[in-house]
Amino acid sequence: MSVDLSFVDQCVAEIGDRPEAVIPLLQAIQSHYRYLPQAALQRVCELTEITPAAIQGVSTFYTRFRHRPMGRHHIQVCRGTACHVKGAGLVEEAIALHLGLAAGEDTDPKQQFTIEPVACLGCCTLAPVVQIDEDTYGRLSALTVTPTIREFERRVRLQKSAKQSSNNNSADTVTRAKEVIEKTGEIRVGLGSCCVAQGSGEVFKRVHEVVAAIGCNVEVKRVGCVGMCHQTPLLEAIRHDGSSRLYCHVQAEQVEEIVRQNFKPVGFASRLRSSWTHWVAELYGSEIGRDTAIEPVSATTGPVSEFLGPQKRIATQASGDIDPLDIAEYQRHGGFVALQRCLHELSSDEVIAEIQQSGLRGRGGAGFPSGIKWAKVCSALADRKYVICNGDEGDPGAFMDRMLLESFPYRVIEGMAIAAIAVGAHQGYFYIRAEYPLAVQRIRLALAQCHAKGMLGDAMMGSDYALELSIKEGAGAFICGEETALIHSIEGGRGTPRIRPPFPAESGLWEKPTLINNVETLSLVPWILRHGGSEFAKLGTATSKGTKVFALAGKIRRGGLIEVPMGVTIRQIVDEIGGGVADGRRFKAVQIGGPSGGCVPAVLADTPVDYEALRSVGAIMGSGGMVVLDDTDCMVDIARYFLRFTQDQSCGKCTYCRIGTKRMLEILDRICEGTAKKGDLNALEELCHSVSAGSLCGLGKTAPNPVLSTLQYFRDEYEAHLNGHCPAGRCKGLIEYHINDACIGCTLCAQHCPVDAIPMVPYAKHVVDIDKCTTCDTCRVVCPENAVQIVKRSKK
Amino acid sequence: MPIISIDDQTIDVADGTSVLDAAASLGIEIPTLCFLKGYLPSTSCQVCLVRDQASRKLVPSCATKAVEGMRIESETAEVHAARRTALELLLSEHVGDCLAPCFFACPAHMDIPLMLRQIGNNDLHAAIDTIKRDIAIPAILGRICTKPCEKGCRRSAADNPVSACELKRYAADQDLASDNVYMPPCAADTGKRVAIIGGGSTGLSAVYYLRQRGHACRLIEASSLLGGRLRRETEETTLPRDVIDAEILQILRLGVEVETDHRIDSAAEFESIVASHDVVLLAAGVDASVLAAECSIAVARRGVEVNDTFQTTREKIFAAGGATHGKALFVRSAADGKEVANCIDQFLNGQVVTAPVKPFASRMGRIATEEMKQFLAGAMSVPVQTLQVAEEYTPEQSSDQSGRCLTCGCVAHGDCRLENYAARYGADPNRFGSRQRVYEVIGRGGRVLFEPGKCIKCELCIQIAAESQDALGLTFVGRGFNVQLAVPFGGTFDQGVGELAERCITACPTGALYFDPRESSEHIHGKHSQE
Repeated sequence: MSVDLSFVDQCVAEIGDRPEAVIPLLQAIQSHYRYLPQAALQRVCELTEITPAAIQGVSTFYTRFRHRPMGRHHIQVCRGTACHVKGAGLVEEAIALHLGLAAGEDTDPKQQFTIEPVACLGCCTLAPVVQIDEDTYGRLSALTVTPTIREFERRVRLQKSAKQSSNNNSADTVTRAKEVIEKTGEIRVGLGSCCVAQGSGEVFKRVHEVVAAIGCNVEVKRVGCVGMCHQTPLLEAIRHDGSSRLYCHVQAEQVEEIVRQNFKPVGFASRLRSSWTHWVAELYGSEIGRDTAIEPVSATTGPVSEFLGPQKRIATQASGDIDPLDIAEYQRHGGFVALQRCLHELSSDEVIAEIQQSGLRGRGGAGFPSGIKWAKVCSALADRKYVICNGDEGDPGAFMDRMLLESFPYRVIEGMAIAAIAVGAHQGYFYIRAEYPLAVQRIRLALAQCHAKGMLGDAMMGSDYALELSIKEGAGAFICGEETALIHSIEGGRGTPRIRPPFPAESGLWEKPTLINNVETLSLVPWILRHGGSEFAKLGTATSKGTKVFALAGKIRRGGLIEVPMGVTIRQIVDEIGGGVADGRRFKAVQIGGPSGGCVPAVLADTPVDYEALRSVGAIMGSGGMVVLDDTDCMVDIARYFLRFTQDQSCGKCTYCRIGTKRMLEILDRICEGTAKKGDLNALEELCHSVSAGSLCGLGKTAPNPVLSTLQYFRDEYEAHLNGHCPAGRCKGLIEYHINDACIGCTLCAQHCPVDAIPMVPYAKHVVDIDKCTTCDTCRVVCPENAVQIVKRSKK
Repeated sequence: MPIISIDDQTIDVADGTSVLDAAASLGIEIPTLCFLKGYLPSTSCQVCLVRDQASRKLVPSCATKAVEGMRIESETAEVHAARRTALELLLSEHVGDCLAPCFFACPAHMDIPLMLRQIGNNDLHAAIDTIKRDIAIPAILGRICTKPCEKGCRRSAADNPVSACELKRYAADQDLASDNVYMPPCAADTGKRVAIIGGGSTGLSAVYYLRQRGHACRLIEASSLLGGRLRRETEETTLPRDVIDAEILQILRLGVEVETDHRIDSAAEFESIVASHDVVLLAAGVDASVLAAECSIAVARRGVEVNDTFQTTREKIFAAGGATHGKALFVRSAADGKEVANCIDQFLNGQVVTAPVKPFASRMGRIATEEMKQFLAGAMSVPVQTLQVAEEYTPEQSSDQSGRCLTCGCVAHGDCRLENYAARYGADPNRFGSRQRVYEVIGRGGRVLFEPGKCIKCELCIQIAAESQDALGLTFVGRGFNVQLAVPFGGTFDQGVGELAERCITACPTGALYFDPRESSEHIHGKHSQE
């Protein structure tokens, strides 16, 4: 197959020919050709300083890069923690079955779909989640896979035909709505990634249409993540009198009713037209009937207030109030005041003193005191310094940084600008993972705004300080969250970490002193400088100050993004904010800190959110993923899940991590499959300690934590597995499906079984053929009589 | 100039010195696989770990700079355990045999692949040197051996084993027939005297190796001719007597006091021999037990009781061969003679007497069909040529037949740092389960071959190849456990390393990257095309 290479020439002309251009070039080539044709890579080497060895090494390191052609549509299956505990594995198998994929293949024979697992899509509250091209589908099960793919195909067909007729309509309505001059009310729709996945985009569009059609004076506003992912799509109506009404789980067809309830049309003609059509519709019993009637929820009592009550918003201040990209609105909420002060009133030392006084510690996981880091970079002597915002949030089950970047881009930019000024850097990079396209887009737009308004660039905000900030996109490697690996990645290399010291503060990007802070850390900075470090230090515990954002997901009633003061207990978060676990289930543990963290059992749930306290119970603060587990979750499976993740994400540089995590995973696989030997548990434990002690970087050093903490608190479950029993009924190798006497012979299970393991015998008790059964769980889900049971496997 | 302490010894080193180098100046050798002076430490192998007392962490010494006041532990149980684990993890994915299976199958542990290569190169003098390092009577054994080596030969799973025994005989016969018969060098006289009772395969072999170490030997044989079971239990047709005579003569040429027709049947006589010698070796086959019992040497069910260093219950009296375990293979008896000679030598030198050590070895075990193809691709595809009684290989046949060897052993054996450190730290190659990776050789047809299964991802060849102006270079492809060394854009390894092949290969800490050991690869492939 010959490839037209003129695009490559054009790319090189635009992006550059230096070695560090390699990742942006690969990204451009991949998005153009949908994979990386070898001829294109060779052409790059001819045109640039990039060597064949470099391009080959880099392009095979990052998982986003493909060397094989891709199907027409791209199905990304989320393997995040929340998705895992909610059955993502079954969904993935069902998709493969639906597409008829041969083992080891990722693209169907017709080249229509390519399936690709991704570490985490960051829509944990909608778990399990699949993204097909741009569309996100949540709460899937093996049963809904086929209809979902069919629905997607139907939409693709519709879009095609719509394109052929006309594609101006929707754009039209939006502009018309913007023309309304005097606005006295406001409708806010949350448009974070997960909200969009739940249909907020449709709701937003519908609000525009309705407002335009009815003709009322209402500002329709896109706002960032509100954090109440369990309630999305979320719509807030600010009425003419300033009172607010919040609507949850809003559907597009309910929008008109909500608008009518809260706002009156302007002008006689439109009021008449509106009430006429409304009356006619009611007369004929149209869609605005009872079914779509919707009541606002109270913000002062009930679940919303419980959810919001214990929270304290600093990083997420004004959440749900402001349009993420409206710079003026950000300024009305105190934005850029701190930056202004840093530029005109405060010296570097004073800024750093504030940060030190605040007690702020890095929110990326390790909790290093930010003030000390800043001071170190500040005092380093060099002709150039850099700041980097680490937005390579990769922990499965964590999406705080994505939300902050999407919803509060100016806040992160302001924090970063302050950091740059404090340490004396004139150039900075946002390193954002490629799985977060909306975050990249918003930061890009926000940076452009800042440059346009003089917040950044030469002589920023009327000072004589110059600061350039730009974006570097990741390409799919969890390890790039490690700061030295991140630096290698920006420099255009394979994202492998190196030994520290020297720390980036002494020798970082291009061997210059470099300040690297996590997104959340930076987003706390403007508040600290506005209110003073001591104010921040009033919140929290002796060693952990301020607030922490968590992504609360898993087996919990009210999942979402929360920001709590340090020192609240895990139990408060689970019970008060999250509303506890689902009906009839028992709260078993909370996984905190993702693949580097551990499981805190329910008996220790009174542990406060505090760096040291969490460490003492075998978990870590981590970046903020908090996945609640109930009695249907197998702790061995959880440990294996995380280890599989770290093993897969290991860069492969050092022996302990590259081979050690693999050997650990093999033992865990054996335990879950029921083929483990007696000595395996001790061997696993020994290996955990070895890998921890001998690995080069944090990834390997902390990879054993999920195993060690589950071994510490749930050793009995491991031992049960050695005896062939999975107490939670999760581990496929140890369970089988059995239909009990409650079966009424409805044949539903037989109809849905994808592998014909249940012969159809109407009105008689059904039987599962264990040899054919793939334990996909479909029969249990469809059974109306709860007659399908998971039992201990009788034979190997 | 920071002063640091390593294992409580302090040293003042230059700024920027690594802990590894600082330790070396103190005479502490920290093992490392991936570090090479002049190149950036890749900190990949983690075998050079040491413990920093301040942070209580293990750190790679190659990339850790000495700083003032640093206190380092190197030779402690904890650090050694960590190094051992790193080695064991590397070995758990290592695919290759340090030593060929035939090495373990042969009771005398002869280096058969080396001999075959030498015969293939028609260097018969080198071949007989290789043979006689382990076997004193190759022409004899070449006719009567039951060939355990052939049962161990990997090629027997594909077609037929390599005729190692016949080829050994070929080399030995050619040597005996030559004008310049091979003669091993003998050390200067040590002044020690050893009496060997029994002139069979064991006794003769022992004499051969003891003489090379400079010990005087008195060989006492009950019958009129040396040879023992070699004469009693073999046929003239399979083992012509002149071959026995010729090969024994070669042993006696080293200077041996021989007494035939001398049966020692009294305790008193035995004691007088004991009194007049530094060591007595009982090698009189099954008859030895009777004598031993009379002389208050413990006798077990199978023969004279010995420990694993061939020492009997009496000081300075050794026993070996049939005397200790009854009748066995001739090659076993000959091997015993060699091994007991080693133990006696240690004893006479006042050293600790150690049992014959089983060398450290990574072993592949059973191989799959696909893997066999990889092996066969490196060997001649000529069929086996079986010999009739008294028939000999022609020089051409001998070259072809030796070329059938799959060279299962590793080219780096002996030079391999992974092997050497594994032996030193007592690493167990099977601690983390059996092997899963597949044996593969990349680059056949070119000069430089690469075995991914032996690569430890040290990055040295990548760094070296990057210095070349012309070479395509080398790189890692993939990530994590699946990371692999490769040449970009599917190039060959010859293209990848270019003119720096030699340096890359020398730097390789294992046998992953090497020159094709065959003198001329065209030769092999020429044979292939004829098939």
